[in-house]
Amino acid sequence: MLSDVEYRTVVEFLYREARLADEARYAEWLALWTDDGVYWVPATTDPAADPQKHLSHIYDNRARLDTRVKLLQTGHRYSQEPASLMRRLISNIEVQAAGDDELVAGSNFVLAELAIQAKHEMHWWVGRTTHRLRRVDGDLRMSRKKVVLINAAEPLPNLSFLI
Amino acid sequence: MSNGSVSAPVAGGLDYKWLVQDDRIHASLYTDERVFADELERIFHRSWVFVGHDSEILHPGDFVTRHLGTEPVVMVRGKDGAVAVLVNRCAHRGTMVCTAERGSTRALTCPYHGWTYDLGGELLGAPYPGGYATFDKSRHGLARAPRVSSYRGFVFASLSPTGISLAEHLGPATRLIDRSCDLSPAGEVELGAGWVKHRCAGNWKMLPENDSDGYHLGFVHRSMFMTIRSQYQRVVGDERTIKAVGRDWGLGHIEIDWSPGYQAPFEWFGGASGPAVADFVAALERRDGAEVARRRIMEGPAHALIFPNLFLGETNIAIVQPLSGEECVHWHTPMFLKGVPEFNGRLLRMAEAGMGPASFLMPEDLTVAARNQLGLQARTAPWLLLGRGLNREFVDADGRTVSHVTDETTNRGFWRHYRTVMSEA
Repeated sequence: MLSDVEYRTVVEFLYREARLADEARYAEWLALWTDDGVYWVPATTDPAADPQKHLSHIYDNRARLDTRVKLLQTGHRYSQEPASLMRRLISNIEVQAAGDDELVAGSNFVLAELAIQAKHEMHWWVGRTTHRLRRVDGDLRMSRKKVVLINAAEPLPNLSFLI
Repeated sequence: MSNGSVSAPVAGGLDYKWLVQDDRIHASLYTDERVFADELERIFHRSWVFVGHDSEILHPGDFVTRHLGTEPVVMVRGKDGAVAVLVNRCAHRGTMVCTAERGSTRALTCPYHGWTYDLGGELLGAPYPGGYATFDKSRHGLARAPRVSSYRGFVFASLSPTGISLAEHLGPATRLIDRSCDLSPAGEVELGAGWVKHRCAGNWKMLPENDSDGYHLGFVHRSMFMTIRSQYQRVVGDERTIKAVGRDWGLGHIEIDWSPGYQAPFEWFGGASGPAVADFVAALERRDGAEVARRRIMEGPAHALIFPNLFLGETNIAIVQPLSGEECVHWHTPMFLKGVPEFNGRLLRMAEAGMGPASFLMPEDLTVAARNQLGLQARTAPWLLLGRGLNREFVDADGRTVSHVTDETTNRGFWRHYRTVMSEA
């Protein structure tokens, strides 16, 4: 059983991570990751999806995650230049201990994105995220973030922001 | 040549010879819904269109749902192993019979009134037959593409019962498909990773045009060149040092060939070494001899458009699906090489880096496509330029027009064929 303090720490982490992504604060967002982080957005809602066999939208190891953020920081990633205006709501948070020093948090999100790079369209992104969290030097860090969009297998508009 | 302010002559329809000129094209080709209607009829219904790959439906009963233009179809392997392309519409009341993206089945049953069809589209039964005085089941099957043909596993269909053969449609461009397939020691590619679909707020023609445009890389993809080294590095330097070429194969099939700029094997693969690679090269050498094998690993797979909707995107396969005059979808999947599953992991990661909504390349392309679509609403300046490279392109010994990779030789090849298809009787 998780303590209230632990639960609250996780919730605050999730909110902070969401806010940094929403506000395109790329370096601060990247600093939330462990060195062995894996960022996965499957291209299907099938729970049996295997990133070694099936194509994903994103399957970044830490090196590729760094590249993803560097692209955004060049000022020439035109699909995010200017950055989309975004706010996401996070709810239905469930946290479990995993092993000695890790936590797994599941949460739902609804993300409104105003894509202002061309047509100024509002895009809605909805899904469930699973974070794997670890204490590093006293602070929580993400070692894994898996985002399953409800429309993962449908035609998607640009997803070059941080989801 | 007509002046830009003159309106198109109208004589029983749009004049595509006027709208598509040798060195310029009219903006209405991207914005006029009448053009889109003509394209569906002439390009996506009458002509050959890529549907899918043999490896997606290996066993009898396996199917995938696709579109020929906007026509919903089911590509299905029959009991006899033959591939049929059935129109996905019940003969009774028009209900879509199959909504799954893929699957395996013995029969196709309409959910509305239970009409059931076999894998060839023949009507097996309609419940409560007493409601018809006479009922000839053989007259109420699913409509089907009258012509289905394949080349090395790539399945094409036409909704017209007559017309040129697939071999005539492909012409010498079969060599482009060969170039990709022959990289597999088994001579086959496999599409087993699933598709990612990327929505584009632009006219469908912008995708084949952009896929074969070697001019935009250093600009649209500037963020990538600032961040990572890639096989494309040598095509953003000084104009005179660029060795890559654009090639017009005729019949609308067009290619960008990076390989003249490659200096070592596997540059198209981001470099490769190790025992699996050595085994792979040895297998190619056993089949083709050392010289040909060396050429294959130097050149890599094709970067080419097979008119109108199949893009051989180097280590990926892509499909262009038109939705309307203003919107389309770009599908892609990695091209696995049969016989070398060891490469699949790398091919997956390359596909995710290069194509799709979260990749490092395509979001920029589709942002520019959306901005194109917005810009083309301007009516004061209706022409788009298409003349780049007319001063230096040349015809090679095989009859293909070749030019500097940044030239619009490829675009002109696309549009020349488009004009023929859209204006022929």
